[in-house]
Order: sequence, then structure tokens, then C-alpha cells
Amino acid sequence: MKTNSQGGSPPPVTSINASRVNLVIIVIIGILSLASLYLGFKSFTEDQITAYIYILIGALGFAAIGYMLFRGGRPSSQTKQDIPQVDILTTLECPKCNLRRVREFKKGDYIFKNDEACTRCDGNMIISRIHKKKDPEKEKKQNFIE
Amino acid sequence: MSILIGQILQQETDFNVIIQTLFSLAFIIYLVYAQKLQSLQMLNQIEATLRRLKKIRDEARGVTLNTINEVGKPGVDVSNKVDRILEFISIPLTDMDPYGIVDKLDQYLKVNHNIFEAEVKAIAPNASEIERQNLENLVGLTFELNYIYKAMRHNYLMGKKTMNIYIILQVHMILPLIMQLVESLTVGIQATREGIPIGDSVGPIVAGRLMKDYPKRDISKEMVSAEVPFDGRTLIVMKAKGPGGTVGTPDEAIINILNEKEGKVKIIIMIDAAGKMEGEPVGAVSEGVGAAIGGTGKEKFKIEEIATKFKIPVHAIAIKQGQEHVMAPLVEELAEGAEKAGESVKRIIMDYSGPGDTVIVAGIGNTIGVGQ
Repeated sequence: MKTNSQGGSPPPVTSINASRVNLVIIVIIGILSLASLYLGFKSFTEDQITAYIYILIGALGFAAIGYMLFRGGRPSSQTKQDIPQVDILTTLECPKCNLRRVREFKKGDYIFKNDEACTRCDGNMIISRIHKKKDPEKEKKQNFIE
Repeated sequence: MSILIGQILQQETDFNVIIQTLFSLAFIIYLVYAQKLQSLQMLNQIEATLRRLKKIRDEARGVTLNTINEVGKPGVDVSNKVDRILEFISIPLTDMDPYGIVDKLDQYLKVNHNIFEAEVKAIAPNASEIERQNLENLVGLTFELNYIYKAMRHNYLMGKKTMNIYIILQVHMILPLIMQLVESLTVGIQATREGIPIGDSVGPIVAGRLMKDYPKRDISKEMVSAEVPFDGRTLIVMKAKGPGGTVGTPDEAIINILNEKEGKVKIIIMIDAAGKMEGEPVGAVSEGVGAAIGGTGKEKFKIEEIATKFKIPVHAIAIKQGQEHVMAPLVEELAEGAEKAGESVKRIIMDYSGPGDTVIVAGIGNTIGVGQ
């Protein structure tokens, strides 16, 4: 697709760390495995068979952690929709009475299009803006260092 | 707990010996195979990304095919023709002798554009001009996604075949940047399919606002201009002809106007979207000098050349945005930025020209979803 925008700074790097859910799972398995190993070592002199089972469980837990890490965390953006769909708003303005109306975008809308009749006067409303609906959650996350 | 484990390990038992042997063995194995393990881990990550990339590419192809069938009504199965376009190659020019390279590039780009235009016209014979231009953009996006996928797959397979950590490492290092680029392309699919203004449309929006109430004429291929009276001055406002997705030929338009006016133009003002630095707000407006236009550099060269010939100062207005905004549906901050840029245009005209002067105002960018 052709654009004439001028290049700027490179985009921010998306981290490839394991997702938070994966991290929590890894920590939980780690704690349980450690506990299992502890119990195994503790009971080694008393009951060797039980101890071996505990140690085996602990070792398997660590092996699972190793596998999860080895498999590699997926890019954090992977949870996003592959081809995103966003809500678009169309702003109409009446040049005669300055009435402003915002509605959902309809196919065929374009900026400066003479659209529907004004509901307040006999003028025609013109599309003055078409833009993406703001995502309040995303807005909250933005934190600029001025 | 660690104290207890320590105490256990200090005891001279068979178990202790086994554990120590295992640890030593693991250490030796790690020493020998660390690089191989690291390579395998990186290859796994590349493979996961590649799988996602393939899914995106396939979905984009599906959307393109559906849109072609919907608006172009070809009446026959065009999937083979679409695949042929997606595999289209453009052999780069040789620059061993750089003399005359700009004209060669101009010709090369025109041929590329004309062929692409003809191919899209052939697969969507019933699409209107606006729909066809938007389809060209959509096919272009899918083409780029297909190319990125193929290039990544090539590098991945090369790495896997050779198991050379340096090849794998290079691919792995740029993986986040590639995915950022892919995401910035995928957000453009909805915009091109539905004809929604994108981040790059801010330049045409500023120009369109100035020229909307005045008669327009075609000034060069896919470019329109209007003479707008402004406080005793004459503004020649130009932009790509919308609302179809095209960037027009701004260099040719400026050259035509300057030749027509025999160079009697006080200043040229160019408004374009520009990449922002991290931390800069989206929609911030910066003023400066120089030809505000991206692309291959061919247009920039031609504008600079003609401006130098007639000794006309070129003023630039940049509306800042991230790479993820350029092809994505316009965000509110950029719509506001376009309004602010309009005020900057008026201020520059008042500061740098006098009554009776002629000023060229060029809104640069893709005019998808922007009329005039």
C-alpha cells in the first residue's frame, strides 16, 4: 500500500517474554516441585520408596518448567486479533447552523461528503471527521514523560 | 528449607554422590550443547511467529478475495490471478552509474503502478474507480504481508538447515520489529476494504478543508487543485484526488503549477504525516523547512529541483504519528492534529507572504476516505 508519510523512529520493540499467565503457572509449578523435592530429601532416610516418588515428582515439575521455557514465549501481541476490526465514528456538521452529530461509520462515507439533510435547518450536513472510536482502557495506559 | 537441603547434601550418602554426578553431567552437557540448545530455543520462537504470520497472510488473502468478489464481481474464480499478483516481482534498478537514476526510477515506478492498476482492473472489472483504488491498496497490503512471510520463512529454513547460530540470531533479533511491521500492515486491511481515512490521510484532510468550497481541476495524474483566495493572496491548494486510496503525483502537480505560473510563487507549503519519536504525542504538529514527502525519494528530488530552479522556499508541516498509525484507521488525535495543522498553514501564509502573492499548499499522503 502506498503512503507518503516520512519515516521516523523505529517502532517500539514487542517483548517476547512468556505471558503473565504462563509466568504464574511456572512459579506455581516451581513452588510445588521444590516442596516435593524437600519432602523427598526429608523422607529419604525413613522411607526410600516414598522419597524417590517425591523426588521424581519434583524433577518432573522442573522438567515441565524447562519445557515451558524452552518452548519459548510467544510474542505478547499474539493474543491480539490477527486482522483487527475497530469501531469507526463519522462526525457530521451542518455548515449553516453548526449542528454536530456523531454516528457509526457507514460504507461510502468520506470526509467532506455532502451527506444527509440537517435535522435542525434546511441545510445539508457535511462529513467533517471520520475516526476510530477511542479505547478508554488503552488511553489509561498511555503515560508520557513530558 | 535451603539449610535443610544443604544439610542433606552434606551427608555422605549414595544419594549425594548420585546427585553430584548428575549435576556434573548436566554441567558438562550444557557446556557442550549450550549453543545448540539456544539455537533450538530461538528456532522454536521463530517458528511460532512464522505460524502466526502465515495465518495473517492467509486471512489477508481471504479478505482480499472476498472484497474482489464483492465489489469487482468478476463472475469467475480469480484466486489464481490474485496469487499471480501476490507473486509479482519488481527487479530493482541498477545504480552502478547513478547518473539519471531519478528519471529511471520515475519510469520504473510508473510502469510498476500501471501494471498493478491494470491487473487489479482485470480481476475487478465492475468496480468503480474509487473501489478499484481501494482494492489496489488492499492487494498491495496483502502483497507486502506475503513477501514478509516468504522472506521470514526463507531465513528460518536457512537457519534450520545450517543450524548456524549467527543466522538464527539475526532473524530472532529482528522478530519483534517484523511483527510490529506486520501489525501496522494488518490494521490497514479494514481501512482499505471499507474506505476509511488512515493516518497518512492527514495531509489531504488539511488541503481538502481549504479547497472544499472552491472549483477544482485535475492538475496531474490523480491530483486535483483549487485556487483559493485568502486575505489578498491566492492559494493554489492541491491534494490527491479522493476519496479513493491514492497518493497521486504531487511532484508532477507542483512542477505543472510552477511552470504554468512561470515560477511566480512566493512559497510552497507541504503538509504530510511524519514519524514520531517514542514519547512524542500522536497528532503533534511541527513546522520547518524542506519538502515534506516520503516514499522513494523521487518526488522529493523533483520538488526540490524545481523549487531550487525558481528559488522558492519550501515550508514543511509535519503531523506526528507512530508507524502503527500510518495505515490504521485515523485516530481522534490525528483528526485534531489535522485541524491544528490547518491553523499552522494559515499562520505561515500570513508570516511569509504578502497581499497579491501566490502560495502553493500541498497536502501529501494517501487520500483514502477523503474527498475534496
